Amino acid sequence: MEEKVLEILEEYCEEALTYDGDNMMEEGVIDSFTVINIVSELEDAFDIEIDAKYVVAENFRNKEAIIELVRQLVED
Amino acid sequence: MNTNFERIVIIGYGKATGEILKYTDDRRADYGYTLQFIEHELHALSVTGQICEERGIPFASMPDKRELGDYLKKIQEKTLIVSASNNFLFPAALVERENITIINFHNALLPDYPGRNAPSWVIYQGEERTGITWHYVTAGVDEGNIIIQKSCEIGPDTKAYELTEVLMDLAYEGFGECFDAVLQETAAARPQGFSRERRMYRSSEIPGGGFLDLQEPTEKIYRLLRSVDYGKSGIFPPLQMEVSGARAEALRYRKIAPEKRQVGADMMYLPFEDGDLLKIKYRML
Repeated sequence: MEEKVLEILEEYCEEALTYDGDNMMEEGVIDSFTVINIVSELEDAFDIEIDAKYVVAENFRNKEAIIELVRQLVED
Repeated sequence: MNTNFERIVIIGYGKATGEILKYTDDRRADYGYTLQFIEHELHALSVTGQICEERGIPFASMPDKRELGDYLKKIQEKTLIVSASNNFLFPAALVERENITIINFHNALLPDYPGRNAPSWVIYQGEERTGITWHYVTAGVDEGNIIIQKSCEIGPDTKAYELTEVLMDLAYEGFGECFDAVLQETAAARPQGFSRERRMYRSSEIPGGGFLDLQEPTEKIYRLLRSVDYGKSGIFPPLQMEVSGARAEALRYRKIAPEKRQVGADMMYLPFEDGDLLKIKYRML
């Protein structure tokens, strides 16, 4: 699962893979349009629904947060 | 550089607004105006507040229309209001004030597609080109004289949010090109030249009436899906359709090659003329 998430991040925001902070949105690593693309790819890859309530800066603060979000949704 | 404007107020949200905010802040030293940002619509992923904080730009959140209108009407200095990705309609009493000039970015090539959600309507109508317009604001919606326009192509797979991103980049580019002329009041603005058929798009309108007719050609269905696709922003409700005599809503879609077809629950595949497939994941209601 983690490998697939990283593959998607690499396609849409390679910088996210090496980013080691905790606020990619505010630091300009990732923007809202890239988030839309990543969400769409994650939904398709894992056949999950990522509700709008999860599409917030906190869940996209770094790659670990994104992986954790997907893990929770897949387990649900 | 000289300007009679003492103050600039920026109202809006999103990528273009953030870039315009930074640009206008960077140009403060050239003209000596004061700068302020007002957030009228709140967005989960907005970074404009952060930009203001980092740069020390005065920031105010005014989600209430009446409060915002009253606040702007009290401005006494000669002020330029920059409306970027902003859905607040400026009252005539404000627009007509001598000390106030308002410019607005519209996300289409005016006079075509005035009103709301223009990127959706150009995709839905199958347009091959669109663009942005910076114009002076008058009492009528999207009717003021045109300051600058920039255009772009609409690709065969372009989704509404992708087009919006391109238009925001164009809006920022156009703003930089006309900024000095606007501040120096030398911008050669031209009237729009309305036609009798001019149609205003309202926020309550949804392309296709919000319904996917699965009997339509796949290309048209795909266009409708792309036209309302703003990710999770909730600008439009999910498109509805009829599946086996019952109502369903489209959750997501994708154009795929035939060999990528997979078996899955609540999934349908519609053939394009070129052999590709439109995959639609849906949920029964």
